[in-house]
Amino acid sequence: MTDPGPPTTVNGEGVALLPGSDRIQTKRVETTRLAELSHELAVDHGARLADLFAEDGPDGEVTLRSVYALDGESRYLVLECPLDGDRFPPLSDLDPAAFVEECEIYEQYGARPENRKRLNRVLVPPHRSDRFPRLRRRDGRRLARDYEPHVVSGEAFEFPFGPVRAAGWESLYMGLVTTGEEVLDLYLFQWHKHRGIERRLRGLDPERATFFAERADGLSSVGDTLAFCRAVEMATGTEVPAPAGHTRAVALELERIYNHAAAVAAMCQTTGLSVGQARSEIVLEQLLRLNLAAFGHRYLFGVISPGGVRREPNVDEIQALLPAALDEFRYLVDALLVTNSHVDRLESTGVVTPENAHLLSLVGPVARASGQAIDARRDHPTGAGDEPAPLVRTQDGGDALARMRVMVDEVEDAERLISAHLGEAGAGAEPVPLAEGAGLGWAESPRGEALAWVSLDAGGCIDHARLRPASVRNWRAFDDAARAQNVFTDIPIIEASFWLTVAGFAR
Amino acid sequence: MAFWFYRGLRRGIATTRYPKTVDPWARRLPSAPAFHSARLTAGLVDRLARECPTGAVHREDHDLVLDVGRCTGCGRCLELGHGAVRPSGEFLLAVTDRAALVKRIPIRGED
Repeated sequence: MTDPGPPTTVNGEGVALLPGSDRIQTKRVETTRLAELSHELAVDHGARLADLFAEDGPDGEVTLRSVYALDGESRYLVLECPLDGDRFPPLSDLDPAAFVEECEIYEQYGARPENRKRLNRVLVPPHRSDRFPRLRRRDGRRLARDYEPHVVSGEAFEFPFGPVRAAGWESLYMGLVTTGEEVLDLYLFQWHKHRGIERRLRGLDPERATFFAERADGLSSVGDTLAFCRAVEMATGTEVPAPAGHTRAVALELERIYNHAAAVAAMCQTTGLSVGQARSEIVLEQLLRLNLAAFGHRYLFGVISPGGVRREPNVDEIQALLPAALDEFRYLVDALLVTNSHVDRLESTGVVTPENAHLLSLVGPVARASGQAIDARRDHPTGAGDEPAPLVRTQDGGDALARMRVMVDEVEDAERLISAHLGEAGAGAEPVPLAEGAGLGWAESPRGEALAWVSLDAGGCIDHARLRPASVRNWRAFDDAARAQNVFTDIPIIEASFWLTVAGFAR
Repeated sequence: MAFWFYRGLRRGIATTRYPKTVDPWARRLPSAPAFHSARLTAGLVDRLARECPTGAVHREDHDLVLDVGRCTGCGRCLELGHGAVRPSGEFLLAVTDRAALVKRIPIRGED
């Protein structure tokens, strides 16, 4: 576990996190001070802006919440800021990581940053009707068409790719701006996949809401659902039984393993190494069958529930099937890393510099492959499921090969963690009281830190839910990586090595 | 590529002709529920309808109506079913008519 370090005090005004206090602290601040505090937290305390979102109250008032991760101190700080009007301080001027969230707040609540910057379209389609459902409940205001236009000039043109793409990839439109080969710029549209899940959760009790939350990003269902359930548990003061904590850890690591194997398969597909793709998909199928045998579902749905877990792992099946699948995975990786046609395509492709990874507050394997040693399991432990701590493996290259190496290392570590947790894993859930409250939850999903914020009404049902899967964070680096002297055929390789989901972003 | 060919051969043949047999793993997959008509009661069906997260189950007078096209095999009805519900084991659900996925099961039990 990380040394908590010295206490954080901000601006001498009581945003003080004392040693031994809660892992989450919420502080109400005035709008005028938000930018100043945000700057101070980042510069003086190394805080990472982990999320930014809005919530509306019964009278239509909008509250802005910014979540800062103090990774060195194992704490999250939530600044709550009631908005007066429909403008808020532009945090993205100081911290570019906030830009996507600012665009989302504009689309969903009609409040925009107090600057002249034009915003990007995020989840609301351009052909929307005025009745298109948004998160703000009492708002007749129509959105201005205040979007950044696509700028394509000179010899360049925009090559449209998607949203329907080959090989079963998710709906995603890429506007590749090019003069013929090199990618000069890239526009992404993820809104085709938007399902309004956060809105759908309103009014549901936590148990029922979990069913929908785990379908927001099916390939990170355990990680995202864990974050959601932890938020509910924090809001209601529910303690998870220790055996359930270990079961959660086993499911989370199984999810990590199969996702990383799937990413390797996708990388083989995109480098044209079909024989490697076939072998890695054999491994992937073995791992999905292992999930089914261990927890009754190939994608581990239905395992996590508020207060604990619904199922316990089948220990015998895991012990019998996991070593064989990982033996096959190692055999595959050994061959991949000596296959020049594969390695050459990954090397120097889709580079994310350490500076960009830090600036954009990236998470997960994408950040770790760019030298950022962050991992929510180690930095923000929650109890039974987080001991022993993971080995946080990093690479410095920042390219697709570095991301693949990080994933391979994490598969090895996941096996160690599963072995450590399996003996103590069990079923059980503490009943969640139906009470008012609010809470933040987190988990290290295969794609990185997943966050969730939940506000419960007096009857214990969801009044407001914010899901922030890791994909919301990491897509913002994709266009930078794609522009870094890459050509058309590198784009699928970069996408595979990021291994993000559109569903998680567009939820 | 010869390198991959020989390495592959060392691991044996992994593929079969399709569909040689139904894969035995398929029996473990979550599947839509099957109901014991004699054990179904109106009260139980109403509870199942309330708990089904996708609205795949509802009651119409003395029938339980199951829309297999809505069912995700989540298993909540199995937990509530008290012997009246079991997994159907059916997962090959392709039909040419959407209505063929909607099934009616008479409720023969008494509350």
